[in-house]
Amino acid sequence: MDKGLLAYLLIPLLSAVIIPFAARNRPRLADILANVTLLAGLVNIAWMVLRPSVVADGFADIPGDMLFPLLLVGAIYLVALCVTFFSAWFMEEGQPNRAAYYSLILASVSAMTGVVTTTDFFTLYVFIEVLAVTSFALITTDDSRGGIEGALKYFFLTFPASALIIAGISILLIVLGDLQFETLRIFMASDVPPGPAVFAAALIMLGFLIKAGVVPFHAWTPDAYQGAYAPVSAHLAGIVTKISGVYAIVKLGTLLRFFDGRASALSEMVMFLGLLSIAVGALAALRQKDFKRMLAFSSISQVGYIVLAAGLGTPLAVIGAVFHLFNHATFKTVLFLNSASVEKSAGTTDMEKLGGLEHSMPWTSWTSVIALLSTAGVPPLSGFWSKLLIILALWEAGLRGYAGLALLFSIVTLAYFMVMQRKIFFGRKSQAAESAPEVSAPLLAPAVLMSAVIVALGLLFPYFYTYVKMVAERIIL
Amino acid sequence: MDLSIKMLITAVAVPVFGAFLIPFAARISTAARNAFAVLLGLFTFLAAASLAGTVLGGQTAGFTLTFPRGFDLILHADLLSVFMASVSAFVSAIILIYSIDYISHYENQTEYYAMVVLFLGSMMGLVFSANLLWMYVFWEMTGFASWRLVGFFRSDKDVAKANKTILVTVFGALCMLIGIIMVYFDHGTLDLRALHGAGISYAAAAFILAGILSKSATLPFSTWLPDAGVAPSTVTSLLHAAVLVKIGVYAYARIFGVTFAAPDAFSNTVLYLAGASALVSAGAALIDTDIKRIIAYSTVSQIAFIFLGLASGNKTAFAGAILYILMHSVAKGGLFLCAGIIEQNTHTKDINKMGGLFSSMPVTGAAFALCSLSVMGIPPFGGFFSKFLVFSGAAQNGNLAVLLMFLAGAVMTLLYLVRLFYKIFLGEAAGHGNPKEGSVTMVASVMALALIGLALGALIYYPSAYADLLTNTLGVNLQ
Repeated sequence: MDKGLLAYLLIPLLSAVIIPFAARNRPRLADILANVTLLAGLVNIAWMVLRPSVVADGFADIPGDMLFPLLLVGAIYLVALCVTFFSAWFMEEGQPNRAAYYSLILASVSAMTGVVTTTDFFTLYVFIEVLAVTSFALITTDDSRGGIEGALKYFFLTFPASALIIAGISILLIVLGDLQFETLRIFMASDVPPGPAVFAAALIMLGFLIKAGVVPFHAWTPDAYQGAYAPVSAHLAGIVTKISGVYAIVKLGTLLRFFDGRASALSEMVMFLGLLSIAVGALAALRQKDFKRMLAFSSISQVGYIVLAAGLGTPLAVIGAVFHLFNHATFKTVLFLNSASVEKSAGTTDMEKLGGLEHSMPWTSWTSVIALLSTAGVPPLSGFWSKLLIILALWEAGLRGYAGLALLFSIVTLAYFMVMQRKIFFGRKSQAAESAPEVSAPLLAPAVLMSAVIVALGLLFPYFYTYVKMVAERIIL
Repeated sequence: MDLSIKMLITAVAVPVFGAFLIPFAARISTAARNAFAVLLGLFTFLAAASLAGTVLGGQTAGFTLTFPRGFDLILHADLLSVFMASVSAFVSAIILIYSIDYISHYENQTEYYAMVVLFLGSMMGLVFSANLLWMYVFWEMTGFASWRLVGFFRSDKDVAKANKTILVTVFGALCMLIGIIMVYFDHGTLDLRALHGAGISYAAAAFILAGILSKSATLPFSTWLPDAGVAPSTVTSLLHAAVLVKIGVYAYARIFGVTFAAPDAFSNTVLYLAGASALVSAGAALIDTDIKRIIAYSTVSQIAFIFLGLASGNKTAFAGAILYILMHSVAKGGLFLCAGIIEQNTHTKDINKMGGLFSSMPVTGAAFALCSLSVMGIPPFGGFFSKFLVFSGAAQNGNLAVLLMFLAGAVMTLLYLVRLFYKIFLGEAAGHGNPKEGSVTMVASVMALALIGLALGALIYYPSAYADLLTNTLGVNLQ
């Protein structure tokens, strides 16, 4: 574990412990503590990374092994801050488990930070499990029937994943003698036949593919996202499943040296599943009737792009994967938070009952449009650049079929987005929309902030590219 | 920094960023917003036109913003881009003036103005980009703006047709992106200046062509254009006549006319596709009864003539095609705006329910007649010269089948425009209440376009000299 980043893990954990005591008599204190903790962390990261002198130097001052964790910790804090800030105004007064809710969010932030900063498989496993337990509890925040169903599905379907991961780790321990990431990397670079290690890694990879909700292991995702308490679905879709599944896949791909073809069978399998996810997720999203469910399938499809790139594993592909991972966190958070706003305001997320919200909820509508266009990879928004990099990487590696298909499935993404905007935001006003007021400014703030990030990353692509390129070089070499 | 470079940057940046300020201007007052939008349009036109002096003097202006991996944003003003930018900005400015009255009683006006200006800005960016990737970026931005504009009225039918528009054009654009990626890996750069005179593989050319054809609504991607006629007339004239479909034509001229040396077999395929497109859409224009759909089909058909000129592979035809872009923008823009006046005052789009309108709308009728004559290609209108040059160039090329297809298309143009004029303005009045002439700004806009069409014919020496200069300086692989 990198000691320089330990504070990002410990401070939220400390807050998580303090909150239930501090907020016993004054429930509002829980909101404040959680928000202040995350904001402080985010400001700290922003200061480290975005200081003008650091940017001017091309990020040369940041130690190489901190680049990738810092980026991800930044994404974790950003999404979690949006979620807690949103929840502070979204949650009804007198909700009994307010303190528990914020404690769990902070505990999951702490676990995610652990996942991205750790350097050995066992610690990784521990934090992944902590994350799974916190998410499981978070889904049931509002005790609704859907929430409990989603939580159970999440639990039962990801439980085998944990079993696979621990089995893989055990075999890896026998083969390698220790569980450091570095040992596996060195082993893969040596001339020793990699068979047993790759087998172990394949088990671990399979576990993470389930946790990431990649097709054909995606059954739990739509139910969990749809049933979860509204801001929690943003937290889950925006960052939790990305860290507990997708991040680990990218990391494992680089450790296994996919780029020099040492584990080519596994690499090809991962890429195939990635493309399958893109296709199945997008086509299934076309047929959904519920806003949140459609977003869940869209999430499956977008994860497919990241997994596809991770499976390829060349430097350019890793740049694209990391960039898309970050972008996905931004646009999915906007969309899920907006779906929560729509639910609060119009009382439903059923697209058949919504329509014409653009006049009553202009901010929600336009931030959703920005996020959706970025998802579909429409330039000059950030999603375009990351998708372009992934497709260029595929083309460069000679996989033209994959590149072409991945590109053309953007049109399906755009198509379900068109269905969504026609039924929810533009189009004729429905009864539910008639009486739906725009939500209050604090509820809009996270979505507006994230939309600004999407636009800014699109326009300031060169700066971000420099950073991500250094990240990719560092984790591959 | 040189003045011409500053003008180049403002011509792109002012409308693109200005579009996002329109909602704020709308907070002040409706009049402030309208005035701001019109000013943005006029300013863009002046900025683009001011570059004409530089490029006519044999110089070019360029500006580069470095992006990683050769994705540099390069703005480059040469004879072709300045010509295209001035024509589209001019027609857009007229449309903005006309809009003030035309859309004053509908909802979503602020969005409308913002999107028209954003569209204009993206068009400027597209035209001035000398990097294929940035052409694609601006290409998609125009797609976004046109999607919002076609869906201006919010009924389910309108929104569905807007979605059809964007899905067809984005599908084409993604094909084009594949083509661009092929070029990127074949040549290692996307800078059009560095690619001047380079070869291009059939596959890359075919993918890029798919994008071009979908945007310019040529067979086999033509179906969205007539459907997009549900939009307000200002939008249809902006999209169909003046700017959007010309994007495809411009991209063809830019990529295959003045950059890559296109293979002969490829050009021949384009000729046959364009010929089929001219005939099929002219036939559709002959039987349809919706005034805007007829004009839209006519646009599809006329665009094919421009492709004929660009793909014929000799200087006469190429110069004719450049002139054709100018003449068609002016005349077809005028026709759509006339249709807007007629539709608004008779409350119908069905030409069977019109008739005898000449007595009640004499100025509109006269403007309509003048614009039609220019589209038909009757001397001394501007349209005659462009059509003549395109045909004489195509004759030099010597492909008889293609020539006959287009001659038939030209005859059909004459037929459907005469039929349209007769049905609307002559004959018996068909019980349509009491139509009156449009407002002063609206009628003045259409009359201005009609008279400009006539003037361009009378003063054909100047535009034609410009087109010749352009062809001689920039053309690649032309005989």
